[in-house]
Amino acid sequence: MFQRFLTALWERLKSWEGLLLILLLATIFVNSRLTPAYLTFENQINLFELYIEKIIVALIMAFVIINGEIDLSVASVMGLAAGTMAILFEHGAPAPLALLSGLAAGALCGLFNGFWIAYVGLPSLVVTLAGLIGYRGLVYVLVRDRSITAFPDWLNRLGQQPLIGPFTLAMLIFFALAIAAVILLQYSGFGRYVYVIGNSKEVARYSGVQVHRVKMALFIASGTIAALAGMLYASRLGAMRGSTAEGFELEIITMVLLGGVSIFGGKGSIWGVLLSILIILNLHNGMGLAGLSGHLRAGVIGILLILSVLVPNLAGKVRESLGRQRRLQRAVETVEIEA
Amino acid sequence: METPILETRHISKRFDMTQALDDVSLALYPGEIHALVGENGAGKSTLIKIMTGVHRPDQGEILLDGKPITIHNSQEAQAYGIAAIYQEPMIFPDLNVAENLFISHRSRGPVVRWGRMYRDAEAILAKLDVRLDARMPARSLTLAAQQAVEIARAISLDVRVLIMDEPTSSLSAHEVTQLFRLVRSLRNQGVAILFIGHRLEEVLEIADRVTVLRDGKWISSTPRSQVTPEQVIRDMVGRQMEEFFAKSTAQRGDLLMSVRNLGKENVFQGINFDIYRGEVLGFAGLIGARRTDVALALFGIEPADTGEIILEGKSRQIRSPEQALQLGIAYVTEDRRNLGLIMPMTIAANISLPTLPRYLSRLGLIRQGRELADAEEYRRRLDIRAPSVRVELEKLSGGNQQKVVLSKWLNANPRLLILDEPTRGIDVRTKAEVHHMINDLAAQGLGILLISSDLPEVLAMSDRILVMREGRQMGLFNRAEATQEVIMTAAMGHYNSTHIWNDRGEARP
Amino acid sequence: MNWIRRRFRPEQIREWVLILLLIVLILSFGMVIQDYYTGRTFNRISSSIAIIAVMAVGETLVFLTRNYDLSVGSITGFTAYFVGMQLTRNANIPPLAVVLLAIGTGALMGSVNGLLVAYGRIPAVIVTLGTLALYRTMLVEYSGAKTILTSDMPKWMQDLSSTTLFSIGQVDLRLIVAIALAVVVLFQLVLTYLPYGRRLYAIGSNPDAARVAGFPAQRIVFLAFVLSGALSGLAGFMFLGRFGTITVVAAQGSEMQAIAAVVVGGVSTSGGSGTAIGAFLGAALIGLLEQSLRRIPAISEFWRDALLGMLILLAVATDLVIMKRLREFWARGELRVESSGPEGSGMEQPSQEALHPATGGK
Repeated sequence: MFQRFLTALWERLKSWEGLLLILLLATIFVNSRLTPAYLTFENQINLFELYIEKIIVALIMAFVIINGEIDLSVASVMGLAAGTMAILFEHGAPAPLALLSGLAAGALCGLFNGFWIAYVGLPSLVVTLAGLIGYRGLVYVLVRDRSITAFPDWLNRLGQQPLIGPFTLAMLIFFALAIAAVILLQYSGFGRYVYVIGNSKEVARYSGVQVHRVKMALFIASGTIAALAGMLYASRLGAMRGSTAEGFELEIITMVLLGGVSIFGGKGSIWGVLLSILIILNLHNGMGLAGLSGHLRAGVIGILLILSVLVPNLAGKVRESLGRQRRLQRAVETVEIEA
Repeated sequence: METPILETRHISKRFDMTQALDDVSLALYPGEIHALVGENGAGKSTLIKIMTGVHRPDQGEILLDGKPITIHNSQEAQAYGIAAIYQEPMIFPDLNVAENLFISHRSRGPVVRWGRMYRDAEAILAKLDVRLDARMPARSLTLAAQQAVEIARAISLDVRVLIMDEPTSSLSAHEVTQLFRLVRSLRNQGVAILFIGHRLEEVLEIADRVTVLRDGKWISSTPRSQVTPEQVIRDMVGRQMEEFFAKSTAQRGDLLMSVRNLGKENVFQGINFDIYRGEVLGFAGLIGARRTDVALALFGIEPADTGEIILEGKSRQIRSPEQALQLGIAYVTEDRRNLGLIMPMTIAANISLPTLPRYLSRLGLIRQGRELADAEEYRRRLDIRAPSVRVELEKLSGGNQQKVVLSKWLNANPRLLILDEPTRGIDVRTKAEVHHMINDLAAQGLGILLISSDLPEVLAMSDRILVMREGRQMGLFNRAEATQEVIMTAAMGHYNSTHIWNDRGEARP
Repeated sequence: MNWIRRRFRPEQIREWVLILLLIVLILSFGMVIQDYYTGRTFNRISSSIAIIAVMAVGETLVFLTRNYDLSVGSITGFTAYFVGMQLTRNANIPPLAVVLLAIGTGALMGSVNGLLVAYGRIPAVIVTLGTLALYRTMLVEYSGAKTILTSDMPKWMQDLSSTTLFSIGQVDLRLIVAIALAVVVLFQLVLTYLPYGRRLYAIGSNPDAARVAGFPAQRIVFLAFVLSGALSGLAGFMFLGRFGTITVVAAQGSEMQAIAAVVVGGVSTSGGSGTAIGAFLGAALIGLLEQSLRRIPAISEFWRDALLGMLILLAVATDLVIMKRLREFWARGELRVESSGPEGSGMEQPSQEALHPATGGK
């Protein structure tokens, strides 16, 4: 009994998640060497706060990529929602209107993306690339080259001050979404569909799955959650400009891919993504302590992104050449099962 | 007797459970069209793959001009002058004809001389008497024309042995005529041609020599002059009827579905049949008969254009698999790897997929317990050999995977179950189990549509047999009147040896 | 009619449509904007198109192989700065060496992309998304956030953007425009007349068939990325000449314009078709729109990117829907084998399965 537990644990550790765990521990170790204040609760909370919006979007991005698609437009949607909200506040609109409009902007972008991808059948890469450019353009149309700071005080407070205990609203939202993501992806029927479609659209179709609907739902969700994150970001900064959230998609996608989600779809888990989020956050901390500038950090993230696909690829090649032996072995095994 | 260009001697090849080839010897002479015939699974494609370097034989040798060689990969095969053309043309759609011919040439110089390329292309095409515009983009060519381009490319690379694997299955009669002219022209230039085909009158029309394979064994090689259609058919099918599970005549129940004049433009037409509860309706025919297309129309993946599907007295529109499932129709695909199963997922997850809503709680969460229990039920019922239902599908053998596919659809409680080649590539024991199960299901009142190219299987299992050929219905036979020869002749376009049906359905003596 | 069908392909019709569109736009703008048809306007627009056109040609090479290069903007920015820095330190470097330095640097950066995509088998999106950030970082680190000023450049560089080859009245043929045109022509020739160029099409058109035919696919794709990088390097040189003042955000976002130019210019996003001329026309269209819209006060300059996004989407959607129909309608290549035997010209309708690739029937 105990042995079965050990073998199961060993299997888990050998997997991608295990690797991540090791990486995480290594990062924490190095960081704690760099400064004594590292492992305090405050420090960790701070870390989360700085990147909370990105990790919120990473959650939905995981779904999209597991489904075999990609959404490059999330950062631009973040900006667009923030801009919509900001402009409305600037013109004195009532809070519910401003907030809802921001969300609606995101949902509409998602709807637009989803239409071309799920129903017309254009590749998601191209559509969301166009969205990345186009939606960002709309942000500039709204905001021009100004910086809008006319947010109501309560909004700024919500964005910057802790709400319950040491946690800000954004963090609470993240926790809620993370739990929902785990439940949805790993335990619900919808999540099962996401995996199946990501594995093979054709098998899904032949099995009676409504592929269009699932994809459309995912892209609408992606747009809406990006909108939410964008508005949270603006409220935290207390300001918003045309370049808000520019370039965020890089880190968001890295968080997902590093977490073991395959770019080709069908594989990965939220747990892995959560682990990789922790790694990246702690990496940022370490980089900050080491005095690396924001740009340099972006470069490191870029390298991480490439490695997160390169390493499994190479491992796959190694496995392939070993695999021949294993395939023979399995052929023998199955004969035994049959016997 | 001159030396054959390419010869395979005593070739044997085994894949996991199946002996694909067993001591097969074949000789290809220059200037001869050698036809290779046999049922599906007779070993033809394995032999081709060995000749083109995709597989290596377990035993036996390959000789080129009388000398033994080993072919390690397809590049080497090409270097030896062996080229193969398959149903899927390997052409570049965005390049024009001339470029498709010469793109793989290394030695045409540092600069592309378009004028010269067009002239050279036209010369090669002229040599083959093919009238094609060398400037035309390959994408806009018909399939037949694309194949011709592939052949021309092979010629330009000085092919010595050209293997053609079922090249005519998607071609119209007129195109076939054109293709055959081309092939003859090739032959006259000294190329050795291995032609794999299934339409008997085509094969007899083009071949100089006919070799029959059956169950991986060489049966006969006869010069065309001495061959008769009956003999070929007998060689192809004539084996000891294996001990199949004798079919119990189930009670035929109510009318389940009527299909009237079902058609899909340029795919199939005029399909008419009724199917009753408790009945096994076999769909016999050869590759290209379009039986799967009819099934896909009934299942809503590729809906039909014309005709009616009548269930419970009402004419139904089946435009999606979801609709089909709601009407109680389930389709078990023949391509289980690519269309039937999600390999990295567990047995249980695969089984529950089409009926997932049934396993969801009110919140939309999967009731794992129920899912596992139902999967266990099928594991027991179908005797799926796996340690548990939590095992990933890729770990199972082909036979067991097929059982999972069946379970998946049985779980949907269908009224009509369409089985497409359910025992293909499966070991004998599992085959018998599947047959047993089909009988059980029929006895329980399901209607079963059995698409199979395994003639003994169809004959043993079916109450009635519908034969298709090239998208048309050739006949509907009772169990009593159906024999292997009758079915085969209908499937190949013959109807008893004194009559030949052509495309237009006219009988010619 | 048949003659047209034989000589031209639907893709070429698309290019003519672009030219037509350009003319229509020029006429329309001319009606709305004052002093539109002046030499000044031409010079300004052509200069702005030049840089994007060069990047777009490089991007085309990559697109043809069914890949994407998102890092061209970062490469351009980096080389602009790097080269500018060298000139600041040593004003005596001969111009030709400067150009070669820019091209070489870009090629090196492109080769990293090429290695990872062609040999590492990593999807191009991922690689170039990563190098987009990486190279921008390199720029920031290398520059130490300092700006290069025009005044630090040698005179010939300062005058680069106004250097003219010859003039017809008010209309100049500027050097950078000439460079861009030369690049377009050169690569159009490469794509049409060199086996390497044709293999780019083949690989994008049918990667499986390319493998079976024995192409060194990896080498070909690798080289495409190197060339893309090299051209971005050249664009960086031109950028330096045009803007003089280089900050760390130099050329940021220009990859989007390059991609938009390429897609609008008819280069397929699934590889296998497209031309350098098409990319140039796309760049011209985008450049024209951008520069001309600026002069209409009612439309703010901030619509640029929104417009770009719409254009890309429109171009791709149109291609999907219209080109497919066009191609089907365009020409039917039926097989006819005629020896001495008289067979009537009875042309049967080609089986529909040939047009819609058969599932291989059963």
